[in-house]
Amino acid sequence: MNEQLITLDGVTVRKTGAVLLDSISLAVARGELVGIIGPNGAGKTTLLNVIAGFEKFEGILSLFGRRENHRRSRGTRLRVGYVPQSFPVDPAFPILAVEAVLTGAIGRTGLFRSPGRRQKAEAMALLETMRLSHIAARPLGQLSGGERQKVSLARAILQRPDILLMDEPTANLDIAVQKEVLDLVDEIHRKERLTGLFVTHDFTMLPTAMERALLLDHGKMLFDGDIDTALSGKTLTRLFRYPLETFRRGGRRFVSYD
Amino acid sequence: MIENLAEVFTYPPIQRAAFACVLCGASCSLLSVFVVLMKMPLIGVSMSHAAFAGAVLGMLLGINPFLSGFVMCLITAGVLGPLSDRTDLAPENVLGILFSFLMGIAFLGMGILTRTKAGALNLMWGSLLTLSGFDVAILAVVTGILVLFVVFFFKEIRAVLFNRRLARSSGVPERMIYYALLFLTGAVVSSNLATVGGLLIFALLVQPGATALQLTYNMKHFFLISAASGIGACASGLLISYIFDLPSGASVVLMATVIFATAYIFSPKRRMAKRKERNGTP
Repeated sequence: MNEQLITLDGVTVRKTGAVLLDSISLAVARGELVGIIGPNGAGKTTLLNVIAGFEKFEGILSLFGRRENHRRSRGTRLRVGYVPQSFPVDPAFPILAVEAVLTGAIGRTGLFRSPGRRQKAEAMALLETMRLSHIAARPLGQLSGGERQKVSLARAILQRPDILLMDEPTANLDIAVQKEVLDLVDEIHRKERLTGLFVTHDFTMLPTAMERALLLDHGKMLFDGDIDTALSGKTLTRLFRYPLETFRRGGRRFVSYD
Repeated sequence: MIENLAEVFTYPPIQRAAFACVLCGASCSLLSVFVVLMKMPLIGVSMSHAAFAGAVLGMLLGINPFLSGFVMCLITAGVLGPLSDRTDLAPENVLGILFSFLMGIAFLGMGILTRTKAGALNLMWGSLLTLSGFDVAILAVVTGILVLFVVFFFKEIRAVLFNRRLARSSGVPERMIYYALLFLTGAVVSSNLATVGGLLIFALLVQPGATALQLTYNMKHFFLISAASGIGACASGLLISYIFDLPSGASVVLMATVIFATAYIFSPKRRMAKRKERNGTP
């Protein structure tokens, strides 16, 4: 049986009287790429933040077989990579694209040392994989949203994590760029065999390597199982409380509604 | 005039003032990088009022005003970090609340103070020419610690300034760096009160970083340009105040503004942005 890298048992998050996550239990094995899908306000980002160590919670969370609270050791943090939702960057901020990627290596470099030639070469190689080597020396704030998301992904990969958490990495991107990012996620998952959690509210744009999905609504887990059942018309109708039907064409899922 | 200047610089108070000016310019401008990039301009005002409130309390209690001001700054820095991290309040809102509270404490203390308020008021305006050797030594030590901190933790500071959460997720000791920067802000502000004063130090914590923001995308150059701008403002301000017999603190701040305005007008970043706009390229 595959090693369980992430286990949650009765995890609950409360904030200012509201319950953001309600007794969530799940286990993610090494090498799995799991989708976390649900409407806005379902608790998807909160769940990711709990696993990333940004959020206080009740219940039991274990990473790599060790019980954790929201305060993580440096060693644990290094093993969990995080790709946030696209966030605005001041166009004048003094950081270049390749320097932003290199921030992923800082934790491994340690104090009083700088990233060396090998890490810089790795950063450039990652940008090459993302077809971004031509903008490596461009200020990060001057890149498009899609380019910044790819840089964010490269940064997380450079950290060499065992777990990769991705929070709506394709949100606010046009369809062609969404496809590029998803293809990159598939390629990275295939090459690195990373354990990944992929949060999205758009179930029509998912990495093809994703075989399992969790459906969340109002902080509760509605479904945890194979992706085809998760994204059936019946399950989605229950999730979104609206009659939906899904169909596939050319390997892609589509949804129809009245 | 040059001969007069050379003669003037032989006087110890002037030498102390000149040295303090350089240290003030360097320390405030290095912190200005943090203040500007983390978009926390209120921190300078809050810390200077913390130092002022502490100094007034010190005068009421018969404690060395510099020491009590320094301690109050450190307490404020120690409260600011956890208060903004553990509540839903944005750091700027926390600073606004602290600033008003501390200003209230300071003026309450001034109202109660029965002896002359001149000592307290000097901390508002600054008094470069009455600096003691002890004042300059403290400023030198604080500046030295800040420079070493920036040099040894440069890559961690850059990661934290960019995005605290991402820095934390990459294994950077983000909280330690952020809180250290807050403490250093408190230490720099309180040790500089005697140079440019509490009312004007805000300008030196914002303008040098804002000047560098106009000129470079390289973080190392950013720190260097900010430092050069701060030291240049202090040196030229002191010179102008001597030549035209003007208040030194105000002269320094006005020179900082002139330097910023010059950088803004000739900013290569602005020119590049305008060129892209004209060509219709993103």
